[in-house]
Amino acid sequence: MDATSVPAPLAEQHLILDTGPFRVAVRSSDAAFFDTLSYFYRDCVRHDGPHFLDFDIRIRRVAGLRRLVRPQALFEIDGLRPFEPQPAENAFPSYEWGLNWCIATSAHRYLMLHAGTVALGGSGMILPGHPGSGKSTLSAALCLRGARLLSDEFGLLRPESVELLPMPRGIPLKNASIEAIQEFDSAAPLGPTYPKTRKGRVRHLRPDAQSLMQQQVPAVPRWLIFPKYRAGAVESLRPLDETDAFRQLAYNCFNYKLLGETAFRAVGQLVRQMDCYSFTFSRLDRAVEQLMALAAENPAVAGVPQ
Amino acid sequence: MNLLIRFLREPQVAADWGAEQWNAFLPLARSAGLLGRCLSLLEQHGLLDAAPQRLVDQLQGAVNQTRYVQGQAMRELRAVAGIMAREKVPLLALKGVAYLAAGLPPSGWRNLGDIDLLVPEQDIDRAEHALLAAGWMASAEFDSYDQHYYRDWMHEIPPLVHRDRQTEVDLHHNLAPPVSRIRIDAASLWEQAETVSDAYGLTVQVLSPPDILLHNAVHLFMNDELRGGLRDVVDFRDLFEHFARVTPDFEQRLLARSRLLGCDRPLYYAVSTAHSLLWLTASPEFLAAVDAHAPAGPKKNLMAWLFEQVLAPQRLSLRRSDLSNQLLFVRSHWVRMPPTMLLRHLLHKLFKPRKPPLPTEELPG
Repeated sequence: MDATSVPAPLAEQHLILDTGPFRVAVRSSDAAFFDTLSYFYRDCVRHDGPHFLDFDIRIRRVAGLRRLVRPQALFEIDGLRPFEPQPAENAFPSYEWGLNWCIATSAHRYLMLHAGTVALGGSGMILPGHPGSGKSTLSAALCLRGARLLSDEFGLLRPESVELLPMPRGIPLKNASIEAIQEFDSAAPLGPTYPKTRKGRVRHLRPDAQSLMQQQVPAVPRWLIFPKYRAGAVESLRPLDETDAFRQLAYNCFNYKLLGETAFRAVGQLVRQMDCYSFTFSRLDRAVEQLMALAAENPAVAGVPQ
Repeated sequence: MNLLIRFLREPQVAADWGAEQWNAFLPLARSAGLLGRCLSLLEQHGLLDAAPQRLVDQLQGAVNQTRYVQGQAMRELRAVAGIMAREKVPLLALKGVAYLAAGLPPSGWRNLGDIDLLVPEQDIDRAEHALLAAGWMASAEFDSYDQHYYRDWMHEIPPLVHRDRQTEVDLHHNLAPPVSRIRIDAASLWEQAETVSDAYGLTVQVLSPPDILLHNAVHLFMNDELRGGLRDVVDFRDLFEHFARVTPDFEQRLLARSRLLGCDRPLYYAVSTAHSLLWLTASPEFLAAVDAHAPAGPKKNLMAWLFEQVLAPQRLSLRRSDLSNQLLFVRSHWVRMPPTMLLRHLLHKLFKPRKPPLPTEELPG
């Protein structure tokens, strides 16, 4: 179909997906992988076309005798295979991880925050944090209580407008987070369990259809929350002064140094216009209640889900 | 001809492109490292509105990244220049970092992988030790065979990497390996060199305009698998056309310099490739003079075909397995080593384990 693709095996299928500001083609002959992909993203598949594609990705089975014993999947883009082969059963997490890599290494048009982002009404909440801070778990829990998922990893902004751009994806819950979310909401829509990935045991939470269908609708950043999970802690939300907030947010920005002055201005604008807090928590239901209450307290915010 | 090449020749063709054409174009431009050049061509030709907004965003992202890399490279060059000034070692910037220091056209968009520098051969040990004392380290990837390969046969020492900043410095004492068929008189390069300064007080030497082009030609056509690839051909075309515009008799000067330095064959390859692929603008007399140094009949055609296969592939394949790449790989060694040395080198490479793909670094997801 296009001049860039390597000749396809007969049974190869493809899907065109919208993921926030990017449009992606995914090609593979692995039917199980496609089932998983459809489970998560059926609401953002494009059936019209032709489309300009930001990324044209193929998940390919490794050829050779080894495939009979231990099949492997390879991530391929632009005729390159940037990663080691992964066990074939991990095709979906490999695709997700590989797409994140594509975005992180190329999307410097945007300010990229390492943060979970959700919207309550039209207002955005940014939850930056390193792995283990609980940002994915907290974002997942907020979404299960009706917040709109913008992204669990990438807070994307156009620096000139400082609006949060959604990029809703399956939220990879890791290890104990999986049970924490199941306990929080026994009906949480979870995909298959991947017992052995490079991040440990992973299971993804499916974004709700509403979040996927509104993925072209940006949100105005309103709250900046630095979460910190600490076992046994009583939930505590403490205001953070602008300087600390600036420093921590800049630190959690993937391309802060790369964008230089542009990033400096955008982060400055963000901390000025947002209410900034540090948030220690241990109980997910209490934590979510407290963050939801922030939105409810603010009369300027319309349509806060209850 | 592939769509990237068609666009680089004549950007206006893109005015009528739809999604399918842009989809064929983007991966080619991305893997050739030419996203920034493509953005500047779209701007110059008033085509920004004809391209999909998301494509323009991709190009802008690449330019943002390039600006950062360029800033770092210049900072690194300043650091090295300071050290060399203290050591009284003459320093000359090459390739990307020279284009930046001299404000030549590629500096608007060109990425840099490493910092290429020239020092006099008798000073190269002193230069290396000064850098080692100041925080640069020999790259761990290089085994003792590689050390021997560089130090005894090549025109550069193994790359030095800064221990904190991870930037790579390549110190050369010539533009071509001393064991190769092309022997360039380094003293003549220094005689013709020009001095440039930037706004932050950096003063450094760069090659003269004809020598910049000859270096580009030698580098592209003597390297493994045309490593710099299409980007180096674009550099050649843009630099040639720029110098021809601003320097009287530039074509004549280039021919004379090429004869003197013994670079007629690489110049032929560079000019004929830039002309046939990218429609280089040059006078018919100049093209005829260069063509006189083409290899004889069948070899000329074979080489032209090989270059085109590698520089302008119809589609991106997994490059290492390509026949034309392997032929060029062998050829690049053939031109720079005598046959017995080549045999030893290829045998060593054959039995050395391949480098694994990218480490899986800590990234989102």
